[in-house]
Amino acid sequence: MIYRESGQFKTSYATDQAIFPILQDRIALAILLLVAFVGAPMFASDYFLTTILIPFLVFSVAALGLNILTGYCGQLSLGTGGFMACGAFAAYKIATAFPDLNIVFVFLLAGGAAALVGVVFGLPSLRIKGFYLAVATLAAQFFLIWLFTKVPWFVNYSPSGVISAPPRAVFGFFVTGIEATSHAKYIFCLAFVALLALVAKNLVRGRVGRAWMAIRDMDIAAEIIGIRPLHTKLLAFAVSSFYCGVAGALWAFIYTSSVEALAFDINRSFQILFMIIIGGLGSILGSFMGAAFIVMLPILLNAGPTALGTPLSTSTIAHLELMTFGSLIIFFLVVEPHGLARLWQIGKEKLRLWPFPH
Amino acid sequence: MDAIFDFLFGPLKEIWAYPTFFVEVVVGGLLTGVMYSLVALGFVLIFKASGVFNFAQGAMVLSAALSFVGFTELGVPQWLAMLLTLAMMVALAFVIERVVLRPLVNQAPIILFMATIGVTFFIDGFFQMLWGEDVKRLDIGIPKDPIEIHGVLVNTFDIVAAVVAGSLVATLAFFFQSTRIGRALRAVADDHQAAQSVGIPLQTIWVIVWSVAGIVALVAGIMWGSKLGVQFSLALVALKALPVLILGGFTSIPGAIIGGLIIGVGEKVAEVFWAEKIGGGIEDWFAYILALFFLMFRPQGLFGERIIERV
Amino acid sequence: MSRDAPRPIGDTLLKVEDVSLGFGGVRALSGVSFDIRKGEIRAIIGPNGAGKSSMLNCINGFYQPSEGRITYKGKARGAMRPHEAARDGIARTFQNIALFRGMSTLDNIMTGRMLKMNRGFFWQCLHWGPAQSEEIEHREAVERVIDFLEIQAIRKVPVGRLPYGLQKRVELGRALAAEPELLLLDEPMAGMNLEEKEDMCRFILDVNEQFGTTIALIEHDMGVVMDISDRVVVLEYGRKIADGDPEAVKADPKVIDAYLGTGHG
Repeated sequence: MIYRESGQFKTSYATDQAIFPILQDRIALAILLLVAFVGAPMFASDYFLTTILIPFLVFSVAALGLNILTGYCGQLSLGTGGFMACGAFAAYKIATAFPDLNIVFVFLLAGGAAALVGVVFGLPSLRIKGFYLAVATLAAQFFLIWLFTKVPWFVNYSPSGVISAPPRAVFGFFVTGIEATSHAKYIFCLAFVALLALVAKNLVRGRVGRAWMAIRDMDIAAEIIGIRPLHTKLLAFAVSSFYCGVAGALWAFIYTSSVEALAFDINRSFQILFMIIIGGLGSILGSFMGAAFIVMLPILLNAGPTALGTPLSTSTIAHLELMTFGSLIIFFLVVEPHGLARLWQIGKEKLRLWPFPH
Repeated sequence: MDAIFDFLFGPLKEIWAYPTFFVEVVVGGLLTGVMYSLVALGFVLIFKASGVFNFAQGAMVLSAALSFVGFTELGVPQWLAMLLTLAMMVALAFVIERVVLRPLVNQAPIILFMATIGVTFFIDGFFQMLWGEDVKRLDIGIPKDPIEIHGVLVNTFDIVAAVVAGSLVATLAFFFQSTRIGRALRAVADDHQAAQSVGIPLQTIWVIVWSVAGIVALVAGIMWGSKLGVQFSLALVALKALPVLILGGFTSIPGAIIGGLIIGVGEKVAEVFWAEKIGGGIEDWFAYILALFFLMFRPQGLFGERIIERV
Repeated sequence: MSRDAPRPIGDTLLKVEDVSLGFGGVRALSGVSFDIRKGEIRAIIGPNGAGKSSMLNCINGFYQPSEGRITYKGKARGAMRPHEAARDGIARTFQNIALFRGMSTLDNIMTGRMLKMNRGFFWQCLHWGPAQSEEIEHREAVERVIDFLEIQAIRKVPVGRLPYGLQKRVELGRALAAEPELLLLDEPMAGMNLEEKEDMCRFILDVNEQFGTTIALIEHDMGVVMDISDRVVVLEYGRKIADGDPEAVKADPKVIDAYLGTGHG
């Protein structure tokens, strides 16, 4: 009986267009943010922060990026890993070339670099569609990883091919490098993610988002009502790659602190794709849900059998993980193409009417 | 400027100076290309008959090879292992039809594509769990000695592979053009609702075509497996077949062959003569970039049908 | 249903001269000429496969005529893309509904306002200030279209879930939201029952009278065509066989032949 909107009247189009038009949702969001910004750093252990929460946040950004391109604009990409690598290596080059530049700007510029590369590889989307385009994005994936592996300039001629995040501080707190505490990293990451999510939501609920969805749902009709297809698709590629690039930079600097190009190989691209399919294509919330799910699943697969007293070998767990991902993808595509986010929405609609069935 | 000129045209001088070596590289490329075509064929078959771009073809190649080797390691004679593997591939076709294709009929092609990515992961995990993930040797007695034809060194194995691929294509072409099932397959490919309305059993057709793709996967798996050893990387060969498809068009069997040859030769020549100056290892992406450039001019591929858009 | 008051019919808005169109060996249109005057309702009729839809596709730039000339608002056009035609004030609906199925009715109609929205990407990211006021301004325009078409109740429903007749209405709404000068309707009443047809006729006449929009429509229902249109073009096998006001066309022996097939029997 708590989740009710009766008595809340929308008296202007502005309130009707708000992200959370229902009061209870706004309260829930406030509580969530409070827990995320204050509760988690106070009570979560270092282990929990570094192995679950930070990777979850980083993956969420990448999933947001891919969801913009694939879920909203309908252009399937298998090159996510390549664009993440772009962000990671661009951030490394910028941070080492301009040591005084604030790390926030480093990340934003790295995202910008990834966006440029994304636009270049998005150009074929003018002529080709569907899985032809998906295959074309594989070109980006393979080429970019090769580039970062083979050209020593990108790793400042380090013989191992590994880049390590230089220490940088924000407001006097180290957020990257060895001295950075996991708490500082977490808060920094969280702030970044929260802002990026807000921007993504703003984009998809306005003119830009409608143009993307129009292209996704029926590109010919979209063109006939005056949407320029190439322009719109390239914008989606740029924004998507920007998010993926920032995710890659966060990955290299905050999550793992040192990284090689192979961390962003094709399996990373598939992993992000699975997040948005399971979480929900064309949903901002779904990107987060999918990321959480995929980060948690291996941990559960590991912990479950151990708790039951039959620990499995690493390779068996790896194979089980593949099988679980595969089955879940098929399950969600068949049963609920809009993923966890849609299930959540259905749950909320039920709750709105509860305890009355109709 | 000179450096760029030298990079682009320097190797041409090399080619001019040593023509025999160049021919050897080209022949090597052609023969690898045939192997790519072998994998690409499976994609084309399924795409023609069910409009599904089956990303799992590579996983099917891997699982067929794994099962074949797995059975022989259990002491089963090779002919029986072959039959058992065939039975497994048919069973797999049944399961995929029931669990994936039937519930997703009439969905957008892109959804089916993503579903086959799910199938890929499931098959990869399942068959590796079943048979283990160590590299296995596969030997079905094809000689691997190099022989010399008109001064050009060629590997016997590659020639056998080419012959096998050639006969497979001929058989498939006959199957498609001249048998009753083949006609039904083509009808389904054109318009599955119309085909169903004249009494062609859709589900049976799908099972048949996925089984045939399974057989092609087995052949490809055995050939690639004896070349590289049977291990997970076999599934990645499929990634090589994708640019072949773009080049040849998704619906054309001759396209798959020609595309495979072009990619095979292009890749080998670029790798041998150009790549070392930029660090080597360009085989991973060269085919994709080649296919991508090609797509800009002919989006439907070499032999694909022209796309006419309607509203 | 009859026209109550004479409306001002102006000069020529669009002129089609000698337009031909071929796909490979098939000629969809050969040497078709006619014009559309400002403010009128112009019908294009003809048997199946006569080239009617191809004609509309040429007008809004989806197909390029292989020969001939199309003059719009006094300017001869070269090759143009559909989005350029949209920018010039041409909107249309489709024979097979071409709505954005994953979006709500409201969002679908909002896409019709796309060309009139121009706040930059930066403001879009913030969804605040100019971007928000622009959004609200266009929302108001869209709400007027929604009121006009009487579809207030389905504002937030994804269009994929709507029945056929309502989808057609939403599609008309999307075209109207663009405030076009020339509205092309491709079989707006196909597959509708009598009641839905009457509603649709009323909307078409109201659009024409209230907003002065010029309308070119393809329709198979002769009764409807003869009732609402000012002038009719008849196509058969890609050629024009008659052109004139409804009464004259109805009496034309060539049209009777084409429809009843007596001449070919």
